[in-house]
Amino acid sequence: MTETGSSIRMSAGTKIYLYVSLTIIAAVVVVPLLTTALGGFKTLGDLRINPFGLPAEWQWSNYTDILFGDRYWRQMMNSLIIATLTVFLTVSVAAMAAFTFAHVRFFGSNFLLNYFLIGLMFPAATAILPLFIRIRDLGLLNTYWGVVLPQVAFGLGMSILLFRNYFRNLPEELFQAAFVDGCGYMRFFWHVTLPLSRPIIATVAIVSFVASWNSYILPLIMLNSESIYPWPLGIMVYRGEFGTEWQLVLAFITLTILPTIIVFFLAQKHIIAGLTAGAVKS
Amino acid sequence: MASVTLSNVQKSYGSLGVIHGVRLSIEDGEFIALVGPSGCGKSTLLRMIAGLEEITEGDVLIGGKVVNELTPRERNIAMVFQSYALYPHMTVAENMGFNLRLSGASKPVIAERVNEAARMLDLVPLLDRKPAQLSGGQRQRVAMGRAVVRNPAVFLFDEPLSNLDAKLRVQMRSEIKTLHQKVGTTSIYVTHDQIEAMTLADRIVVLNQGRVEQEGTPMELYKTPANLFVAAFIGSPAMNILDGTVDGGGGEAAARLGDGTAIRIAPDRKVKRGQAIKIGLRPEHLSPGTGGTALAGRTLLVEPTGAQTHVVFDLAGQPVTAIVDGEYPARYGARFEANIPAEQVHVFDRDSGVAL
Repeated sequence: MTETGSSIRMSAGTKIYLYVSLTIIAAVVVVPLLTTALGGFKTLGDLRINPFGLPAEWQWSNYTDILFGDRYWRQMMNSLIIATLTVFLTVSVAAMAAFTFAHVRFFGSNFLLNYFLIGLMFPAATAILPLFIRIRDLGLLNTYWGVVLPQVAFGLGMSILLFRNYFRNLPEELFQAAFVDGCGYMRFFWHVTLPLSRPIIATVAIVSFVASWNSYILPLIMLNSESIYPWPLGIMVYRGEFGTEWQLVLAFITLTILPTIIVFFLAQKHIIAGLTAGAVKS
Repeated sequence: MASVTLSNVQKSYGSLGVIHGVRLSIEDGEFIALVGPSGCGKSTLLRMIAGLEEITEGDVLIGGKVVNELTPRERNIAMVFQSYALYPHMTVAENMGFNLRLSGASKPVIAERVNEAARMLDLVPLLDRKPAQLSGGQRQRVAMGRAVVRNPAVFLFDEPLSNLDAKLRVQMRSEIKTLHQKVGTTSIYVTHDQIEAMTLADRIVVLNQGRVEQEGTPMELYKTPANLFVAAFIGSPAMNILDGTVDGGGGEAAARLGDGTAIRIAPDRKVKRGQAIKIGLRPEHLSPGTGGTALAGRTLLVEPTGAQTHVVFDLAGQPVTAIVDGEYPARYGARFEANIPAEQVHVFDRDSGVAL
């Protein structure tokens, strides 16, 4: 991809235009993040006078107090448990369903696929009341599963779609060769499809991880006790507690979004590869 | 090893029939080539034997047993695909041993069989590589190794050489032949390349639109094609086909072309005076200065290939290809004369295309 781009010659004007516009867009993304991170190092007074500049005096204690307290780690752990369960269930269920839709022709498969894809059409928030009643009836209120299961259900549509497109682009002859070698659908899925699907598994895992990590409304409705709150709810509680001490709130926010940013940088190659997989025949 | 029998095998997709009642019996250890133009149903037929395609009507027997309802594995066949279909995430050794692993063979057994096959195919130094690190010819050999390892009853080849460049194709062709001579497994080979079929096969089956046009040894097909289709398909460059009418009779029968040129035909051809026919002249039988009917025309095209030169000349308003020695002084626009003996002239009925 990049090789073809570098061979096209650009005039100086185009280059300047490109760099200026990209810098502006980058600034739009980076400035709020930096302001938040730096704000966490300031005193409240400093923050009021000088919201965008470097701190007059670096207040490391804002961060260290949070890092050495147990609240931050408890929320991170809750978020991590919920996200991990969500990712595991979404990937395994969506991959199996998508494999079926991609390879097995059966009566009603299109109808069933469309039924799954309805999940794409509306967010969990629109169905929040029936969802709450169902989770309550299942006795899952105020448990991790009460958040995980609806998240998996709403994530399935997109995940199945991504998996299915990828599986369909695996060469047909590979399946026939495996069939001749003695694979049934199960063994083909396990021994051939899954090992070849690492990019798309990574994509679906990251997408559903991020969605779960940032999810606010479902935990808000389903969870009641602070001990199992994930971080978005934790921030809310924290802000309630330290409402006027903005520097602490900013430090807390910085620390909570840090894991997502780190994960994204580690995995961005996979995400982009997976999203564009099958777009161009390689 | 086993014999393969097709008894009245048919295939249709809905109302569209693609294979119309093929009967064929293949001896144990025989190498059979299925040839035909693209879309003639040869790959479909192969996939029906493999068990990758359902059989609409008729029976496929392997080793005397009807296998219509069996999976490819139960039929004990091995297949080499056009795209090789190697598993990209496995090493060469894993690719070759995958089928044994699935059948629950122990590790030492797998290693031994894989090594044996690798030695046979010269793959030993490549065993730890992934398919992406191999050249086309090497991948092809791995695909063959994967087939050999399991010691199947029948080998099926689906145009295995068409992804290779010309030089490699010739080399792999001889490797396939050597392999067959070593293991002696019954083999069915699908190709659209008649030269591949001629060089490899003990027997060739020519297919056209889902029907068998003719089956026989390569020389039988070359010397006595049953009809126009086979005549035009077998041989390279292709046979020249010209319209004509039978003139004269008894021992002196001749075909008269549009411009009045007469070409003597062998006395044993069953032709009637005035019958509309097509005559077939193989380029390699049209040579200057030997006995038989002399044909002449203006040279339209000269294609030197080294040892031989292909000369296209005008005969009764149609281009006719002749093969002459590379030293022959052919020149564009000059008069070209070639002779053909009466027994080398193929005669076909113009309407039915059947050889006379």
